[in-house]
Amino acid sequence: MHQLYLTVGPTRYRLVSAWQRPLDQLAALYQNYPVSQDGYADFTVRLEPEKPWRRYIRPSVHISGDFWLPDAAPLPLDQSLLAAEMGMNLQMALGWRRHLLLHASSVEKDGKVLLMTGLSGSGKSTLSAMLAEKGWRFMGDEFALLDPDTGMVHSFPRLISLKNEAIAAMRAIVPENRFGPLMKGTPKGDIRHVIPPQNAVNRMADTAKPALLLFPRFGHDPALRDMGKSEIFVRLTQASTNYVALGETGFRALTHFVDTVPTKAMDYQSGDQAEDLIDSLWSELP
Amino acid sequence: MSQLYRAAASEGLIQHPLDSMTLVYQKSSGITHIVADPVPAILTVMGEQALTAVDIAGRLSDRYDLEDSGDTAEIVLARLVELCSLGLVDKV
Amino acid sequence: MMRDAQSLVDALRDPVTVLSLDGAGWTDLISIARAESLIGSLAHRLANITVPEQVRPILKDAIQATDLARQQALWEADCARRALASLNCKVVLMKGTAYVAGDLDAGIGRSIGDLDIMAAQDSLPAVEEALLDAGWEWVKPDPYDDQYYREHMHELPPLIHRERDRMIDVHHTTLPLTAKPTPNPQAMLDAAVKLDSGLYVMSPADMLLHSVAHLFADGDLAGGLRNLWDIDRLVRQFSGADEEFWTELGVRARLHQLEPHLARAIRLAARLYDTPVDKYRGGHTRFADYLYIRRLLARDGWGRESRKFIRQAFYIRSHWLRMPPLMLARHLWTKWRKG
Repeated sequence: MHQLYLTVGPTRYRLVSAWQRPLDQLAALYQNYPVSQDGYADFTVRLEPEKPWRRYIRPSVHISGDFWLPDAAPLPLDQSLLAAEMGMNLQMALGWRRHLLLHASSVEKDGKVLLMTGLSGSGKSTLSAMLAEKGWRFMGDEFALLDPDTGMVHSFPRLISLKNEAIAAMRAIVPENRFGPLMKGTPKGDIRHVIPPQNAVNRMADTAKPALLLFPRFGHDPALRDMGKSEIFVRLTQASTNYVALGETGFRALTHFVDTVPTKAMDYQSGDQAEDLIDSLWSELP
Repeated sequence: MSQLYRAAASEGLIQHPLDSMTLVYQKSSGITHIVADPVPAILTVMGEQALTAVDIAGRLSDRYDLEDSGDTAEIVLARLVELCSLGLVDKV
Repeated sequence: MMRDAQSLVDALRDPVTVLSLDGAGWTDLISIARAESLIGSLAHRLANITVPEQVRPILKDAIQATDLARQQALWEADCARRALASLNCKVVLMKGTAYVAGDLDAGIGRSIGDLDIMAAQDSLPAVEEALLDAGWEWVKPDPYDDQYYREHMHELPPLIHRERDRMIDVHHTTLPLTAKPTPNPQAMLDAAVKLDSGLYVMSPADMLLHSVAHLFADGDLAGGLRNLWDIDRLVRQFSGADEEFWTELGVRARLHQLEPHLARAIRLAARLYDTPVDKYRGGHTRFADYLYIRRLLARDGWGRESRKFIRQAFYIRSHWLRMPPLMLARHLWTKWRKG
């Protein structure tokens, strides 16, 4: 077994793997992240053959770790980078308790955070990656970490995970050397990782105040709509992996968030439209 | 209608109004309930006493200066049955 | 990397042993403790130890997570109490929920999953009906499974609450009916102790014996370190509070045909956790004890199950303990056919 330590935002991982290759891929993609040498980790992620002989024959990667799902299906070895990222996400989703986790992307400007949440296909990840190339600080495309004591958002800038058409769109604005290998035919389609801009990594310990929440929806005429607070609250509980696990702390953090953060539903058909809508909202913020 | 009901101790419930609905966080279960009127009012007037649906209807009429249309107690009773199944209210 | 779970056992038995750990040692210990569902117990045991700043939030998280588990377990028990209140039958809480409902040391930091309750066999149909009325549903609607459960096992098929998504297991004895030994469920019900809530927990001796039976007869010793930790906590608390506890325990062990199991559990607990057992004659260490210890500690510093061979040996053994061979074959055959 081989091992690698990684730090993403406030979280320290130990990855152990039966194969060296996924760890080499990860080490290359995370090479400009802070390095920890002291051996401590919040979570261990394991990548192992599904059965001992499957290490060599049609190798498939079983994802587990400190926190695991009993029915997680294995992935082929050439998707082991995806497996590692899934394993790291799973530890956060099931085990992280220091923040309220929102399944949302986040970017920051002027000390204020724009959060975007919504179902898969809403474009929240691609939008955050795009804004990160246009003057915003990238804070994360998967989880926004809300500090229940201060109400501030903590950055979790793991690799940006692009799917299908978003890969080509980002190729137009991001240099090739920030891309990971293309993984074709994963359960989610084609996947390619992008290293976030270096300032997102350098500033990953800087928290910022949530200023705007959007529920983007791709493929409809551009529009902004108000949403009722009850609807926002319910949708955010559905977008949080640990709302229930945090008990009263989660309740207080989320009600405070819903009471204080302006929120809109946003329909759009292109990145440019979304950018215009976001700019117009941003300029009206207090 | 003579059945007595008692709400979960008020320090065990956190009410938080949002637009038309009210969130009720129940400490003993860790469950967040989302309820509409008149449930928050019912829980508030019940305090920690054991009361019948008629008692509660009377208190609602007094507190909120309602004109009793005659069916208040029935409406209250229907809500009480639901609240019992959620564990927010207990039969005494 | 640590080769086995000895560091976890050491830390639970004698918390100062963690002072010698380096960063990687702590990470190993935490992975092992999480894998063995003992992270909450460990966090509480280390409450008075100065741990590295990198570790402190991990232990705090574990304490908060098990606080929530405790609260949810008590709530689930109360939901069952309300659902069954009109039946006027004794509802006895079992395992983790019993420890927290009885405010026992064994409940401190314990992770708790399903709600396990025990009720008299003749009240089961009414219990089943009342739970179905109150929002619980069968997990599997497969009649073979139901028949299998009802004829051969010590519990109803598991039920899950359709809104709260929590499981309840209703037992009418503590072990499968086909298993030997056969603890006396009626005696356990008769001796059960009533709590303020109206729910019951087993008497101290029976509670310990149930934990012992659970350790050996249920499963392949998976989760055994936690089970033995329960046993250690129960023995310390009960024997410290009552001079007659060991005598009573001996009487009940004979009644439930669990004497050899108790003896082995006590030997293993004393060996691993230094459980004070001077007033109990558990007999000398056997060769098999050594295998049991090897099996219990089979967890490496990456949190993986190790010693596959020993695990396999125990797995086969545990199936044979539960079901007579022919029935096992039939059960497996049905599984092969239906997947």
